[in-house]
Amino acid sequence: MAPDPNSASGSGTRDEAVVKVPAKDPKKKDEKKDEDLSEEDLALKQQLELYVERVQDSDPGLQKAALESMRQEIRTSTSSMTSVPKPLKFLRPHYGTLKAYYETMGVSDLKKYLADILSVLALTMSAEGERESLKFRLLGSESDIGSWGHEYVRNLAGEISQEYAKRQSEEASIDDLMELVQQIVAFHMKHNAEPEAVDLLMEVEDLDLLVEHVDSTNFRRTCLYLTSAARYLPGPDDILVLDIAYMIYLKFEEYPNALQIALFLDNLQYVKQIFTSCDDLLMKKQFCYIIARHGIEFELDDDMVVEDEDRYALQDIINNSKLSEGYLTLARDIEVMEPKSPEDIYKAHLLDGRASAGASVDSARQNLAATFVNAFVNAGFGQDKLMTVPADASSGGASGTWLFKNKEHGKASAAASLGMILLWDVDSGLAQIDKYFHSSDSHVIAGALLGVGIVNCNINNDCDPALALLGDYVNKEDPSVRIGAIMGLGIAYAGAQNDQIRYKLTAILNDAKAPLDVTAFTAISLGLIYVGSCNEEVAQAIIFALMDRSESELGEPLTRLLPLALGLLYLGKQESVEATAEVSKTFNEKIRKYCDMTLLSCAYAGTGNVLKVQNLLGHCAQHLEKSETHQGPAVLGIAMVAMAEELGLEMAIRSLEHLLQYGEQNIRRAVPLALGLLCISNPKVNVMDTLSRLSHDTDSEVAMAAVISLGLIGAGTNNARIAGMLRNLSSYYYKDANLLFCVRIAQGLVHLGKGLLTLNPFHSDRFLLSPVSLAGITTLLFACLDMKAIILGKYHYVLYFIVLAMQPRMLLTVDENLKPLSVPVRVGQAVDVVGQAGRPKTITGFQTHSTPVLLAAGDRAELATEKYIPLSPILEGFVILKENPEYKEDN
Amino acid sequence: MLTVSVKWQKEVFPNVEIDTSQPPYVFKCQLYDLTGVPPERQKIMVKGGLLKDDSDWKTLGVKQGQKLMMMGTADEIVKAPEKGPVFMEDLPEEEQVVALGHSAGLFNLGNTCYMNSTVQCLHSVPELKSALVKYSQSGRSNDVDQSSHMLTVATSDLFNDLDKSVKPVAPMQFWMLLRKKYPQFGQLHNGSFMQQDAEECWTQLLYTLSQSLGSSTISENPDTVKALFGIDIVSRIHCQESGEESSEAESIYSLKCHISQEVNHLLEGLKHGLKSELEKASPSLGRSAIYVKESRINGLPRYLTIQFVRFFWKRESNQKAKILRKVDYPLELDIYDLCSDDLRKKLEAPRKKLRDEEGKKLGLKASEKSSSSKDNDVKMMDAEGSTSNGSGESSIATSQDGVTADADKDTHLTGVYDLVAVLTHKGRSADSGHYVAWVKQENGKWIEYDDDNPIPQREEDITKLSGGGDWHMAYICMYKARGFSM
Repeated sequence: MAPDPNSASGSGTRDEAVVKVPAKDPKKKDEKKDEDLSEEDLALKQQLELYVERVQDSDPGLQKAALESMRQEIRTSTSSMTSVPKPLKFLRPHYGTLKAYYETMGVSDLKKYLADILSVLALTMSAEGERESLKFRLLGSESDIGSWGHEYVRNLAGEISQEYAKRQSEEASIDDLMELVQQIVAFHMKHNAEPEAVDLLMEVEDLDLLVEHVDSTNFRRTCLYLTSAARYLPGPDDILVLDIAYMIYLKFEEYPNALQIALFLDNLQYVKQIFTSCDDLLMKKQFCYIIARHGIEFELDDDMVVEDEDRYALQDIINNSKLSEGYLTLARDIEVMEPKSPEDIYKAHLLDGRASAGASVDSARQNLAATFVNAFVNAGFGQDKLMTVPADASSGGASGTWLFKNKEHGKASAAASLGMILLWDVDSGLAQIDKYFHSSDSHVIAGALLGVGIVNCNINNDCDPALALLGDYVNKEDPSVRIGAIMGLGIAYAGAQNDQIRYKLTAILNDAKAPLDVTAFTAISLGLIYVGSCNEEVAQAIIFALMDRSESELGEPLTRLLPLALGLLYLGKQESVEATAEVSKTFNEKIRKYCDMTLLSCAYAGTGNVLKVQNLLGHCAQHLEKSETHQGPAVLGIAMVAMAEELGLEMAIRSLEHLLQYGEQNIRRAVPLALGLLCISNPKVNVMDTLSRLSHDTDSEVAMAAVISLGLIGAGTNNARIAGMLRNLSSYYYKDANLLFCVRIAQGLVHLGKGLLTLNPFHSDRFLLSPVSLAGITTLLFACLDMKAIILGKYHYVLYFIVLAMQPRMLLTVDENLKPLSVPVRVGQAVDVVGQAGRPKTITGFQTHSTPVLLAAGDRAELATEKYIPLSPILEGFVILKENPEYKEDN
Repeated sequence: MLTVSVKWQKEVFPNVEIDTSQPPYVFKCQLYDLTGVPPERQKIMVKGGLLKDDSDWKTLGVKQGQKLMMMGTADEIVKAPEKGPVFMEDLPEEEQVVALGHSAGLFNLGNTCYMNSTVQCLHSVPELKSALVKYSQSGRSNDVDQSSHMLTVATSDLFNDLDKSVKPVAPMQFWMLLRKKYPQFGQLHNGSFMQQDAEECWTQLLYTLSQSLGSSTISENPDTVKALFGIDIVSRIHCQESGEESSEAESIYSLKCHISQEVNHLLEGLKHGLKSELEKASPSLGRSAIYVKESRINGLPRYLTIQFVRFFWKRESNQKAKILRKVDYPLELDIYDLCSDDLRKKLEAPRKKLRDEEGKKLGLKASEKSSSSKDNDVKMMDAEGSTSNGSGESSIATSQDGVTADADKDTHLTGVYDLVAVLTHKGRSADSGHYVAWVKQENGKWIEYDDDNPIPQREEDITKLSGGGDWHMAYICMYKARGFSM
């Protein structure tokens, strides 16, 4: 808007005075100006002055003619607003006169006419806060609002929102305003100014109006603006905005977009509605792919898909049963099927001199690290060089030999690693794990149970093999076998909200005699299975289990997994946590604050709620006694809340830098983990540098956390810089077995799935947050808060929780029969096009590949051919392509 | 009768009939025929769990046409190997060291870094170790005095400890006996032991070892230390004035690298050190005259020790001051230029072979090589003459025990040496500062032994110890002869 010339003067009651104030010595200036004016302008000026005089004439005919001419002059000149239009400028000295005259006029059409003109003049002349433009507009003739130009409308919109707020507080009627709003919105929507229309409607709290005004040309931009604005809106407003966007998408049959919003709102009713309102089977298949990527449990019924056959096929997609196939298609296309050994990852030959000598004796710790690295690197490929080597003449086969190169509980992780290697491939996975069930070693059985859980992660199978196999082991004698089965169930059924498992597991929580570790893992599994469900019964069970802990048990690091389990139940559910948070205030003071912070962090995870970030930062600012532990979750909480959107994320990174400088040691230990979460699978250079610095910290726990986080930010990227850093760290820490173990794990993470996987819980253009993925990462990070007791102790298998977040970072296009179809696509850096005019490019610096392709963090893909039409607007994961009927071959 | 389909791994068996009047075991036997998986290893998923052998079909609610899933393989069950692997973490401490890849450090017992670094350097000579082991087994012979014997045994024990331990070793016994044998190391200053010159310690220790090992009865070779470290020198003493010329031969344990203004490189310093002027009575002139002594190496040791003469007595400050000048030294040293003509002839043949072999490694043309080796053979015949070269074929490089006969050794020494240990000094005078040993391990990695703290180093950093600043600078370098395998 053009600067209000009167804004400088505060005393604006008398308009004449106000008008005169900015132009000191108006006469002198006018004289000067007159001299400068061209003849044309001078004529215009005199003309206008004449009109002003005539308006005040007593003859209505003359008045009318004058007003008409004046209006003509103003209209023809308002086309551009780079400077104040000449007629407005020349009329400026007369604004007061006209206003005064207006007051004296009797009610007539002419008066309204004059009001119209005054309303326009007020655009530049009214004092700040007077809202005269609006006032005269309401008094005016209510003619076409657009006839005075964009700027006028925009100014009016601004005044309406002010007036609206005022009237709201006075509880005055707003009907006249709303009428005007209608006009303005209609005008904006017609003139490519959707953001303005949305803004105005949000100000006057009547977004429903929008639905009438959107049409097929502008609904996309409108919805795009709505969805991105929702991120910055407080409280219930954001839901409201998204609801509107959902309704608009539904109205224009943009079902995939509507589905995304429905998933964002976690509103299964909406999802159902989309299925019932859409009647394109192929489209429904695409919905299933989107739901499968989001990783929620969804059962199709007769209403949604009528034919049984079709329903089974669709349910199969939701159950992710083809995920393994698609992933292997990608792997074959990129030619990375060849299994890699841990040595291929360590690349010790690149380290001169400093690498430790090739040990002739096996180190249990190093073998365990190799087991994990092997599992991470070959995840989902179904073959590796340690575990799945075909059994040859040597007794027991090679897999047996590697398995037994691990010590005690290490064998559990080794057996479970087979599950990771055969990830998502339930049929052959279970067949290969089967042989371990008959082992006489309880650790091997525990690993096999966990492995079954891992294979079934994110996959549903009608036969429920995981439940059938693991169910009986949950109540065995041996605690390690129990933990294996319980954790396996947690991973296999994360997000499934399965009642049968709940009965089994809550019974363990209620058992006072159960060992602490069994209880802790049971709680976590329940938390994962009921993630974000706010399930009362599970919450009760965990709360009672927490209350039953003795004073000494409350000090154990494992006990701290119980509050986390409670938090997972409310993951991202905001206010729903409050009742439970109240209950947690009655806990033993040893765990009370820890519980409080954990619940807060989890409940607001992925919301980007700035107030909660500030609250958590406040907790971190205190300098505490040594024994306090609650600041760790608070620091992680900052990352969990702020990771939702890009701006908040950048701010959080900066805040964490400050915590590093001023925080106590317990905070510094959590900061690297928080950074790791913020940039998970997204190696930002500044964060990489910070972590690299921290990885040499004198405090070994800070260094360990930093090393693990280096792995997390590089997870599945094969990032050469991080790989180099870790290689150097491996020689730097060659003597420190604990740190070396962390370095190895991080190396495994960086090459996760040979670079085909991502851990990022956000997907679909960073819009949707998969709760199961976030829960998996969060659990791992909380376990990392006390490295020595958990990961470096005998519970290293918590590292497998990361499987919940593992997803291929691919774009795989399939044809109408769901067979892979290779088409050219452009892949480039995503550009934010919200609120931009025209049809801006959505990617920059792109390269053209043919599918399947890998998508890095912040990448976006678009089809480079007109031959096909994608059924999903967001090209990620599985996308079905339909032939374009209008396509014609060029030659 | 029900028909169901059974999914097993990737296969599906359609139309499997279930006789609901029979127990499930019968059904499992049916599947055994189809899949070959014995019934006891079959796991069949039904609603709510696994199918048990004795359960009732009716209660399970299996429907017509239902898809059942079976898990189980006929694979061999994984058994733990009878002998589990031994893990480093479980090993007793002394065995962990093997895995570590280098031996332990030595505690500083109060300004004993000169001794620690000397011990670490000498410890890297495997032949010395084995000789010491033999010595301690054989016992003392009469021509060695008690204190030398004790010190030798203590050295042997200390080497042994270093090899076995992961944690740093405290060389108490050795330190005590060293002081007993050489009281000058026990000098006290303000109630604590003084810093000493590492070179002195090195020389004295080697002297003692050569005494006791030389006397050893079982050793085939009369003087192990001499065989390992002794350098035969022939000197021509020549008087300019009278034209008198005489020659003498001696055996020394280390070459000196004198550092003067012109010396920038080790070889220059060595040349400098082999040429000296001395004043002595000339029998023909009847008065003292200036003689020039020019020395040449006549016999090469297995381990060539070079001392940088960095310290000189500075009268004004009453201390051994240090020359900080930078003198480069190579990782690979060729001292052919310093050898006597006799020795050069002997070296020629092995050197050719060495060159050929290295050329082969670098992938030079085969034709060149064959022609040169022919020449070589002829020359060798000429040069060697009567010297037996047939028996000396046993490779020196690989021989651990190999204190072989002198004559044989020479035929295989090439005059080319590889750096294996550097003893450095940091500080401004010999009696202060800090001594550190940098030792190349058998696996080719370099370790810096800073008293009790072994630190891995990169090879390129080793040559940076050449002085010219206040960083550690080489004081004694030990080179190992490069032989070649026949």
